[in-house]
Amino acid sequence: MFQISKDYAPPFKMIEPFFVLGSIFYFLGTIILLFLHPKSGHFDFSIVGWAHWFLLGFVMMIIFGAMAQLVPVVVEVGHFAVDLYYIIWPLLLLGVLGMVSSFWFAPWLLPYGGLLVLVSMLIFLFETFMTLKKAQNITLTVKTVYWANIFLLIGILSGFFMTLAIGNGFDINLTKWLKAHAMLVLGGYVTLTIIGISMVLLPMFGLAHGFDDKPVNRAFKVMIVGVILYVVSTLISFYFATMLAWIVIFVAIANYFYQIYLIYKVRARKKEDIWSKSMFAGFFSLALAFIFGFFNLFIESEQLLLAVAWFLIVGFFGFLITGHLYKIIPFLVWFERFSPLVGKQKVPMLHEMVPVRDAEFEFYFSASGVVIAGFGLMLGSEDIFKGGVLLLVVGAFFLVKSVFWMLRFK
Amino acid sequence: MCNITKEQVYKAIESVIDPEVGFNLVELGLIYDAIIDENCNVKVVMTLSTRGCPLHQMLTQWVQDAVKKIDGVNEVEVEVVWEPEWNISMAAEHVKKALGME
Repeated sequence: MFQISKDYAPPFKMIEPFFVLGSIFYFLGTIILLFLHPKSGHFDFSIVGWAHWFLLGFVMMIIFGAMAQLVPVVVEVGHFAVDLYYIIWPLLLLGVLGMVSSFWFAPWLLPYGGLLVLVSMLIFLFETFMTLKKAQNITLTVKTVYWANIFLLIGILSGFFMTLAIGNGFDINLTKWLKAHAMLVLGGYVTLTIIGISMVLLPMFGLAHGFDDKPVNRAFKVMIVGVILYVVSTLISFYFATMLAWIVIFVAIANYFYQIYLIYKVRARKKEDIWSKSMFAGFFSLALAFIFGFFNLFIESEQLLLAVAWFLIVGFFGFLITGHLYKIIPFLVWFERFSPLVGKQKVPMLHEMVPVRDAEFEFYFSASGVVIAGFGLMLGSEDIFKGGVLLLVVGAFFLVKSVFWMLRFK
Repeated sequence: MCNITKEQVYKAIESVIDPEVGFNLVELGLIYDAIIDENCNVKVVMTLSTRGCPLHQMLTQWVQDAVKKIDGVNEVEVEVVWEPEWNISMAAEHVKKALGME
């Protein structure tokens, strides 16, 4: 029988730093954007530094924290060694700061920062793989977590290989390796993780049942093929296969979109809240990235490529993560502080533990900021881009305020 | 002979609220049956709105605790089943309305 005992739930103090640090990285990351130029190329070290700040400090930090709670739910067994999470976040924090500093002003730090990130992720992967090994009910989500982590392993090894090459002056084709690294981490790990975890969280929070799950099964298999084909064809410079890989990835995303529509159609919870609004904004951003990405196959434009990355990373990843913070943090706080009081005194409901007004401010400022800045990037307009980023900064401020409000709820 | 009724058991379980949706388990339609034998042992057959519910064990514990509070109850067993799968049509009308179904 499926069940999760209290022993499977990680201690609140263990996960709290992931969410606190992640939201601070997000806020500071939006401020740093004010100092970047929208016409910088994606190989510019100022952009590479920001991408690592945002992806490692915000996206990965929060995904890792969330996984501490979600992996037992998904795998239906307890963690192999949950205490390892106590050392993952300090190593990741120091590693990100080292790597980003090296991109911006201290190149000599790159191998050291890279090594810290590598070690933190290897610990995360070791713990996750050992936990997955105990799984008996092999669901689609278990398979996606497994494959996503394999891609993360190859992705971080390729990243570390690049840091060694840059730091020691080895002669490798950085363009090819950067593309392969980005695909492994963004497509192979983050997107595949989102696809898998969506199948647990979207029906759970939307109270959706009885939908056909064939589209997501197709998306999962096709995405794996697309990522592998892209990485191999890029490294061996087989242009035709790379184009084919993009088409395969687009087919996977289209199937995922169809699955989301099927879940949305049968959801019982139709009342909109900050979570559902954030999901809508996230999928809208993914749709924009999808459309612009498709055009980018035929129109070679650095601005278009940056806009695709923007809507994918800041829009899709950003809203899916921030939206779930309004579900995960109240649950963890409730579980820690109020579940022992059930039956003894009145306890709050989870929706009462969300600062509705600040969360709404966060959503509307962020949503308008993402769209405006994204179009600013595409048009190469510094004024439009920075106007959008300013809105995003205000939204990020309200996110941090909301996170601390939820964490301190008593 | 046991005088405890099914209605009493359901009434007791009404005190158990799902903190995520804010309704009690009975009005959500999650309680499928309550079987009471002649020795006042109670078996509650219930489901959850999702298999991945992180509150699984706590909810079943709360149900057990709530039923144990009924005078004269002997042993309480809670069985979680996944067939039939829960869906919103099993919930009370006011729950559907509050969720925005109508």
